[in-house]
Amino acid sequence: MNDDGFAIRLRGVTKRFGKHTAVDSFDFDVPRGSICGLLGPNGSGKTTTIRMIMGILLPDEGSVSLFGADPDLSRRTRVGYLPEERGVYRKMKCLELITFLGEIRGVRRAEGRRRGGEWLERLGLAEWADKRVEDLSKGMQQKIQFIGTVIHEPELLILDEPFSGLDPINQDVLEEIVRDFHERGTTILFSTHLMDQAERLCERVCLISNSKKVLDADLRELKAAERRGVVAVEFEGPDAWLDGPEIDHVERMNGGLHLLLRDGADHQPILERAVASGARILRFDLVEPRLHEIFVRHAGSDAVGNAGLPVRSGAEAAR
Amino acid sequence: MWYNVWAVIRREYLQRVRSRWFIAATVGGPLFTAALFIVPAYFAGQNDSGSSDLAIVDGTNVLYERLAPKLEDAGWTVFEERWRADVVTELRQAATAGSFGGFVLLDELTLETGEAILYTTDRPSTVRQFSLRSAIARTALEYQLEARGVDVDAMLQGGELQVELLSGAGSDMEDPQFVVAYIGAFFLYMVILLYAVSVMRATLEEKTNRIVEVIISSMKPWHLMLGKILGVGAVSMTQMGIWLATGVLLVATGLPMLIAARPEMANLSEIREALPGFGMLALFVGFFVFGFFMYSGLYAAVGAMCNSDEEAQQAQIPVMMLLIVPIIMITGVIEDPNSTLAVGLSLFPLFTPILMWGRVAGGGVPAWEVALSFVLMFLAIFAIAWVAGRIYRVGILMAGKRPTLPELWRWVREA
Repeated sequence: MNDDGFAIRLRGVTKRFGKHTAVDSFDFDVPRGSICGLLGPNGSGKTTTIRMIMGILLPDEGSVSLFGADPDLSRRTRVGYLPEERGVYRKMKCLELITFLGEIRGVRRAEGRRRGGEWLERLGLAEWADKRVEDLSKGMQQKIQFIGTVIHEPELLILDEPFSGLDPINQDVLEEIVRDFHERGTTILFSTHLMDQAERLCERVCLISNSKKVLDADLRELKAAERRGVVAVEFEGPDAWLDGPEIDHVERMNGGLHLLLRDGADHQPILERAVASGARILRFDLVEPRLHEIFVRHAGSDAVGNAGLPVRSGAEAAR
Repeated sequence: MWYNVWAVIRREYLQRVRSRWFIAATVGGPLFTAALFIVPAYFAGQNDSGSSDLAIVDGTNVLYERLAPKLEDAGWTVFEERWRADVVTELRQAATAGSFGGFVLLDELTLETGEAILYTTDRPSTVRQFSLRSAIARTALEYQLEARGVDVDAMLQGGELQVELLSGAGSDMEDPQFVVAYIGAFFLYMVILLYAVSVMRATLEEKTNRIVEVIISSMKPWHLMLGKILGVGAVSMTQMGIWLATGVLLVATGLPMLIAARPEMANLSEIREALPGFGMLALFVGFFVFGFFMYSGLYAAVGAMCNSDEEAQQAQIPVMMLLIVPIIMITGVIEDPNSTLAVGLSLFPLFTPILMWGRVAGGGVPAWEVALSFVLMFLAIFAIAWVAGRIYRVGILMAGKRPTLPELWRWVREA
C-alpha cells in the first residue's frame, strides 16, 4: 500500500462557488497516526475542505489524495466521517440505525449489533437502543451519530465540528474517546472553531483564515518557536506605554494583559517605557503563547475578528 | 458491492412495512371496501326475518308453478292457497294470528300488467319488495311470451350480438370489459403515482437531513438510488399482494357466505363475472412494475434536485403531467382502441401502462403490440435510469437553488 505515511494529502486545492473562492490553493498533510486540528473561524473553508477530502465536492484545481491515492469508494469506506450537519433517520431505532450504518460499509449485521450495543453502553445510552432516534435529545442523537461514524472501526476519522452542540460533560466524554482512538493508532482530523479544544487535543494544527491556509505545523514545535512573542503583564497606573511599535495586539487575560509582540520585536523597550511612565509593574513575564494568539499573529486581527473572538487594540483593552 | 444495496433495500422495506401508515392502509383498504358493499346490503336485509313465508293465492291458475321456484331461489318460503270466496278474510286472520308472514294475491290483472297485492304483517325491506315484484312481473311476462312461442330466456338475457371481423385482425385477448379498462387504468395511475412519490420523498428526506453525505461516502449514488427504488417497489408488491389476496378471499369465500346468509342478495355474485381473469391480473402487475420503475427513476431525480418539500411539489409537476395526460386520453383510446393515434400513444413507454392497459382491457389489441410495448418500456427504464442516475448523482449532494433545465442537461452530460 503506497500511502507515503500520509493519510490525507492536499496539493494546490482550490474550490470556487460562483465568484466566491471557498478554498484557495490549499496544501495540507495529515500524517498517519496523527491527531490533527483544522482550525479557523466560521466560513473560512473548513467544511468545504473536508467535503473535498470525502469526495462529496470535487476541487476546481489541485489534487486530493486519501491513503496515497484518489479518494475512491474503497478508500472512503476506510474513513469514519461525521458531517457538520447532523443527519439521522429519525424514525429508526437507535441500534438499527447504527447497525445499518455499519452494514453499508461491510460490517455484518450481527457484528454491527454487538459493537453498537457496546458503544451504547459506553456512552450511557444502553436503555435507548430500541427507542426511535427522534425520541432522543439532540445531544444524544449526536452521540448515536458518532457511534455510527466509528462502527466500522475506520483507519481515519474525519470529524467536522464534533463538539458543537454537546454540553461540557459530553464534550469531555467525546474528547476522551477521540484520545482513545488516537492511542490505538487511528488517524484523526477534526475541524473546530474552538481554539482551546484544539490546543488540548491536537498534535498538529492547520489554521485557515479567509479560504487560505495560514499555518500548518506540529503544535509543540509551533509553541516553542513562538515563545518569545507573548508577554503577560499586570500593573497599576498609567497605560499609555502600551501603544508602542513593538506591540501588535493586547488581550485581556485573567486579571492581566497579554501583549502580542510583532515578529522579531524585543520586549525590553516596553518594560523601560512602562517604568518611565510611572506605572507600577506587578508582573512582566514571557509566556507560552496560546493557540489563539498564534493564530491572531499569523492571520491578523481581522480574520479572528470575523469569528467574533475578543481582540481589541491596546489601550482599549487595558481599560 | 451489492451488500450495501441490499442493506438499503432491507432498511427501506422494513421501515415502511413496520410503519403505522402501512398497516392502516394495507388492512384498512380492503376492510373499508368490503364494508362499503356489505354493510348497506346487510342492513337492507336486516328486518326481514320471520316474514319470509308467504301464501300465494293464484287467481289465474297458471302463475304459481312458475313463480314458486323463483321465489324459493330468492329466499322465500311459499305455499299455495286455493282461490275461494272469503279467502282474503280468512288469510288475513291467519296471518294476523302469526301462522305465516303474509300472502300475495294474483289475478287476471297480474297477467296483463304484472300488478299484484301483498298483504303482510310488517313491511318488507326494499330489497325484498324488489325481488318479489320482479319475480312476479317476470313470471307474467314469461307466460305471455310462451303463449306466442318466443324463446323467453334468450330474449330476457338481452339477446346476443355476434361480431364477425372482416379484416381478420381479431383479438387474441379476452372479451371487452369497459369497467375493467377504466377502473384498472385509474388504479394503475394511483398506485404508480403513490409509490413513485414515495421514492421522491425518501430521496428528499435523505438529502435534506444530510445523512446522504455519510451514505454516499460508503456507496455509489447509483446504488443508493437503486436500493431505494427496489425497497419501495418491494413494499408496493407486498401491499398490493395483500390487497389482492384479501380481494380473492372476499370474493371466493366471503361472497358465497354472504349469499348463503342472505339469499336475496344472490345477484351480488354477478361481481364475480365482472372481475378480470388471471391473464389480465398478470398484465396489470406487469404494467405496474414497468411503470413504477420508469416513474420512480424520474421521481428520484426530482427528489435529488430539490431542497424542500415545497420545491419538490413544484418540480414534480412536469413528471406528474406524464401520468395525467394518458388519464385524460383514456376515454378516447378505449372507444377507438385501434386508431393510429391510440396505437401510437399507447406505445409511448411513459403512457403505456395506462393507455395500453385501457386498450387491452377494452379488447381488440394484437398480442405483438402488447409485447412491443413491454420491450419499449424495458428500454425506457434503462434510458431513464441512465439520465435520472446522473441527475441524482449530482443533485443529491448539491445544496443551493434548484437547477434550471440547461444546468440539468449539463449534469447529465458531465456527471
